[in-house]
Amino acid sequence: MNSATEEYKTLVSIAERTGGEAGSFGSEEVIYVVVHGNRILASHALPGVLIEAVETEDGIDAKITVQSGVVVPKPVHLCFGHLAVTGRQVIKSRIFIEEKASADFQAHCIFPNAIEFLHAMEGEIHLGPQSKFSYREVHVHGPEGRIDVRPVSRVRIGDGATYRGDFTLVEGRVGNLAIDIDVEAYGKRSRVEVTSKVYGKSDDFCQVRDIVRLTGPESSALIKARVVLKDKSQGKFLGLVDGAAAGARGHVDCTEVVQGEAKAVASPVVQASHPEAEVTHEAAIGRIADDKIQGLMAKGLSAEDAIDFVVSGLLR
Amino acid sequence: MEPQLLFVKGIEVEREGNPILRGVSMQVRPGEVCGVLGRNGAGKSSLAYAIMGLPQYAPKKGRVWFSGEDITDWTVTDRARAGITLAWQHPARYEGISVRDYLRLSNPAAEETNLEEALKMVQMEPLYLDRLVDKGLSGGERKRIELSSIYLMKPRLAILDEPDSGVDLLALGEVMGLFKILASGGSSVLIITHREDVAAACDRSYLMCAGKMILEGSAQAVKRYFLSQCEPCSDLEPEKTGEAILNHE
Repeated sequence: MNSATEEYKTLVSIAERTGGEAGSFGSEEVIYVVVHGNRILASHALPGVLIEAVETEDGIDAKITVQSGVVVPKPVHLCFGHLAVTGRQVIKSRIFIEEKASADFQAHCIFPNAIEFLHAMEGEIHLGPQSKFSYREVHVHGPEGRIDVRPVSRVRIGDGATYRGDFTLVEGRVGNLAIDIDVEAYGKRSRVEVTSKVYGKSDDFCQVRDIVRLTGPESSALIKARVVLKDKSQGKFLGLVDGAAAGARGHVDCTEVVQGEAKAVASPVVQASHPEAEVTHEAAIGRIADDKIQGLMAKGLSAEDAIDFVVSGLLR
Repeated sequence: MEPQLLFVKGIEVEREGNPILRGVSMQVRPGEVCGVLGRNGAGKSSLAYAIMGLPQYAPKKGRVWFSGEDITDWTVTDRARAGITLAWQHPARYEGISVRDYLRLSNPAAEETNLEEALKMVQMEPLYLDRLVDKGLSGGERKRIELSSIYLMKPRLAILDEPDSGVDLLALGEVMGLFKILASGGSSVLIITHREDVAAACDRSYLMCAGKMILEGSAQAVKRYFLSQCEPCSDLEPEKTGEAILNHE
């Protein structure tokens, strides 16, 4: 491992600027992994958390286990990226949060120079009984290019466990994004919250597909999407909650804001496979209302700054 | 003649082909609290929007001067930067924006203690700084946050559209006191209201009906006229309402 490379410094400095706490990488108190392309530049674990990672031809293959009863006090930072203009990176991961364990993971996916690039995340997440796990993935791309981003997750949630997934891609060009999240909350009283925040520009294409199947009795889910599209970008959202158990409760909430010549399609789908399930939805596609913009202009903001302010709140 | 901060002369505004302001003239003097009283639908909010410069309320005729400058063709932003601001009757809500960040828009240099003081002026606890300016706030809470943002902004002219609506009666006295504090700090205040007791707290008032100013005078005189002469006119055609009021003159 070489933690002093320019690649490491660049990736870490961007990660720290975009949600990572300064000093987290390199700290003895923090669990972290830094990967550039298919090279693991640095990694650090603590007792109760096992990281088994190997380099592959075009990325890494990792298994991370948070052992039973272990509560990880500080966020676990995963930094994946590449500083090249072209190439590919495929991250395969299997994450196991064992019974009564708890952890917050923050994944920083950093491609500041990418123009023709494929970044794929193929993840499996397993939550044991009474465990808690949040996975927050923040992307940073450059202002140019059409990076292909393929985050694919399969999540399974046990009894009384809570999963929160949060995907954010608001800085730089989105490129060609296809989020594909599939969650099964099979445990009794398991809980799921999946949030996607995307800001499309130029001719970006943003596709979000979030599916949650509530097969556990009294399980619950919230799928939330906030997509802002400007210029000639396009967005397509599918959020599906299937209430397939007694007492299951689900809600799909999608807001897409379009500006310029952008186009958006939203499909919130609710399905009650069980007669005692209750699932609801709300979706809105539109421009930012005049009263929101003019209310801010009356405080001295330009129209453009007012729109940026509203968008910053939506995507926060 | 006393100096004018705001001078509106003969403005006419149409919406979807219907006249909503019909030759309105008025003025606001430096440091005064001035009221515009009128029943619902009289055109009071439209006047506020026209003064603030909302494009959909741009006058077909007439001019607006502020501090001696003709601002009729200025944008909302330009007017705000010159010192005019408007507290909407129903302020917009902003998902994901904290009260702290929203208040800082009015005064980017404000310290945390300034923000807390602004909330105290409208009887709100500092804990509200971490709340979001979204649908989680009640109408009254949102309204009070808007008033505190005006307090922080310290504009030269604050236009307050129905500032008491949605604010409970216990807080109304505090809100009325805020107008006086704004004025004592150098701001002029233009209050749009349909409540005669709110207008009566002003230094001077106008009475508006069917898109026209029909009376100007002391706040008490305007209140007396409003109570004795003005009838609810929601069941009358706007044109007829105007004629009926004009017959009083």
